[in-house]
Amino acid sequence: MPRPSVCLALSTSEKKQTAQKHKPSPESPHEVTFKKSKIKSPVTKRASNVEENGSDDEGDASEMEKNFALLTQKVSLQAPQDEISGGVSDEDVTGERHQAVCSNTSGSDEDENVSKPARGHGVGDELCPKDDFTKDLSEMSFEKVLQLQNKMGTKAYKKIAYGTMKNRQTGETVKQLSKHRPQEISAKKTVPFLRKVVPVKKTILRDPRFDDLSGEFKPEVFNQTYKFINEIRQREAEMVKKKMKKVKSNIKREELKYLLQRMENQERGRQRQEQYRQKDLQFKRKQRELVQQGHRPFYLKKSDKKKLELAEKYSQLKKGGKLENFLSKKRKRNAIKDRRRMPHQKK
Amino acid sequence: SDEVPKRKRKENEVEQEIEETPQEKKLRLAKLYLEQLREEEDKKVEDEAFESDLIAGRLKEDVLEQKGKLQRPLAGGLVAPDPIEIRLLRGHKLSVTCLCITPDEKHIFSASKDCSIIKWDVGSGKKVHKILGGRKGTEARHVGHTAHILCMAISSDGKYLATGDMNKLIMIWEAATCKHLYKFTGHKDAVSGLAFRRGTHDLYSASHDRSVKVWNVDENAYVETLFGHQDVITALDCLGRERCVTAGGRDRTLRVWKIAEETQLVFHGHEGSIDCVQLINEEHMVSGGDDGCLCVWSVGKKKPVSVVKQAHGVHGNAGLKEPCWVSSVAALHNSDTVASGSHNAMVQLWKCGQGFRGLDPLFTIPVTGFVNSLKFSTSGKFLVAGVGQEHRLGRWWRVKDAKNGLYIIPLKRQNREAETEQ
Repeated sequence: MPRPSVCLALSTSEKKQTAQKHKPSPESPHEVTFKKSKIKSPVTKRASNVEENGSDDEGDASEMEKNFALLTQKVSLQAPQDEISGGVSDEDVTGERHQAVCSNTSGSDEDENVSKPARGHGVGDELCPKDDFTKDLSEMSFEKVLQLQNKMGTKAYKKIAYGTMKNRQTGETVKQLSKHRPQEISAKKTVPFLRKVVPVKKTILRDPRFDDLSGEFKPEVFNQTYKFINEIRQREAEMVKKKMKKVKSNIKREELKYLLQRMENQERGRQRQEQYRQKDLQFKRKQRELVQQGHRPFYLKKSDKKKLELAEKYSQLKKGGKLENFLSKKRKRNAIKDRRRMPHQKK
Repeated sequence: SDEVPKRKRKENEVEQEIEETPQEKKLRLAKLYLEQLREEEDKKVEDEAFESDLIAGRLKEDVLEQKGKLQRPLAGGLVAPDPIEIRLLRGHKLSVTCLCITPDEKHIFSASKDCSIIKWDVGSGKKVHKILGGRKGTEARHVGHTAHILCMAISSDGKYLATGDMNKLIMIWEAATCKHLYKFTGHKDAVSGLAFRRGTHDLYSASHDRSVKVWNVDENAYVETLFGHQDVITALDCLGRERCVTAGGRDRTLRVWKIAEETQLVFHGHEGSIDCVQLINEEHMVSGGDDGCLCVWSVGKKKPVSVVKQAHGVHGNAGLKEPCWVSSVAALHNSDTVASGSHNAMVQLWKCGQGFRGLDPLFTIPVTGFVNSLKFSTSGKFLVAGVGQEHRLGRWWRVKDAKNGLYIIPLKRQNREAETEQ
């Protein structure tokens, strides 16, 4: 029974409030709607409180109406101030209102309610509205929480909901004290049987290939510092040749032959890599010169690079006189491949 | 009709008990304590000169004691005694390993490597009682120890005496009659440290198995074990709080065990093995090691507050000089006096500086042999040194011209107060 009466009261007071509202602020309809939503939340709380108390007396309902009327008066008083200060004071306003709600539910005198609007925004209210806020936040529906967040701005909302960093950072001061203090550890953990007689250092295994300490791979630096390895390789190749001459069994000679071939191939591969590197470097140097002169640099595509390499290869083969040989072989290989790819013809 | 009001009174009392909050209980206990103090002080007033604010003085003393602040700055007034006044009590066949003074300063208990315990009378210097040691295989039938006794402790009311030996046993004796009461088994290696908590019958024991055990002697019960040391524990000491300090030989740490909270505070400091430790007051302790260092520690700092290196000089052949091991330390309770003993034929007395920040040597007392144990009497009237030809833990050296026994060294004060000797 009390609920419908409360709703009626709300509707009447709302009308009153809107009537009052329109006079001072006709140009801000959205604020009016916001105020309405604000009013609704304390009312829902009020309703829940009513349910909790479980009092069905009409006296209570009438008292609530009176308090509610006072609340609305307060709202109207604060409305012009809100317009001036904008959204920043909204939190204070809501805080005060929540506080008013709390005090009302505790059954305080009406004089207190009257005196509250006289108080300034957020005077001594820092602690209480925060606690109320978190409690109310948990009670409000998610939609309303989002609305609140939109209104206040996420920064202000987070500050109130979770607290500032200053409040959270207490670990550092405690650490400073414990620097000179003795270590405090549990006395119930059994100690392992083997005793630490000498402090043994654990060796850290490092792979220099993947370690940042080794730095980046630079081929010129590498070639410079490890030049001696090429000489070692040459000597080894000579040794293998000599051994091949001496050795008697055929199998071993075969093995040595393969080994020698591998070594020579590797050497050739390395030299080719060097050549490519050198060519790249030359190209880059040319570009740098052009840039210095003032022209814009241009970069070759991979296909262009390949064409240039092919051209060089042909010119070298021509010098050696093996060009025809090379070209014929290539044509044969291509022919075989093409024939494989052609569709079969059935008889 | 009488029963009804009685029942009502009982109900009221019960209600009062239930309703009493912890704060009210504290208030009630505080009031009781004040009453007790008032009664004690009233009694004292008849004997001593009258001073105003006696109770305030007592409370202040208690607070200072809890905080570990100096109360008796005696060291400045101490004077070296004449060698004639030093008495030697002989009776042990082998080196004396440990000793303890009864709280009323009338008797001294001492134990030695021959597994015997002797109760001496301080005034006359005579043996009151001797508990013989048994031979190695006779543990079952012999009442007493059959292995070297490494440590002993007496409760603060002088009722129980506890002794620990190398056979992993702790024997409890009645101090007045030297009657054997209990035998505590449980340690897995030699028992090397024993101490009673002041005002209670809680016994703390430390052993070579690196554990500290708590026992209740009244109920003949084992309470708990605490772990943490990495090497054998060489000494243990305890005062009024429910915490004890242990010296862990080669792991070079001192640990303060907070028994109620089941935690330990770890202090690092010596370079060699820490062999002995004593509490000066609730917040400070002094320790000696086989590197010759004497260190004073504060509970708030993990490193020693003051260090004296080579406290007893060096010994050995030229070129192979090594510092003399500090085999025992003693501290006068709640004062700034510390004594240390080694095998360089003297017991050194030290004075702690302001805030225990420095250690200044005061004077030396000539004593030949290994000073295996040192204890100050509670009032500071005399110092007892247990001396032997060998170190209490082994036979690295043997001082031939040393005599196995107890030296009772009276400490005189320069001040106008009476020069009482014992």
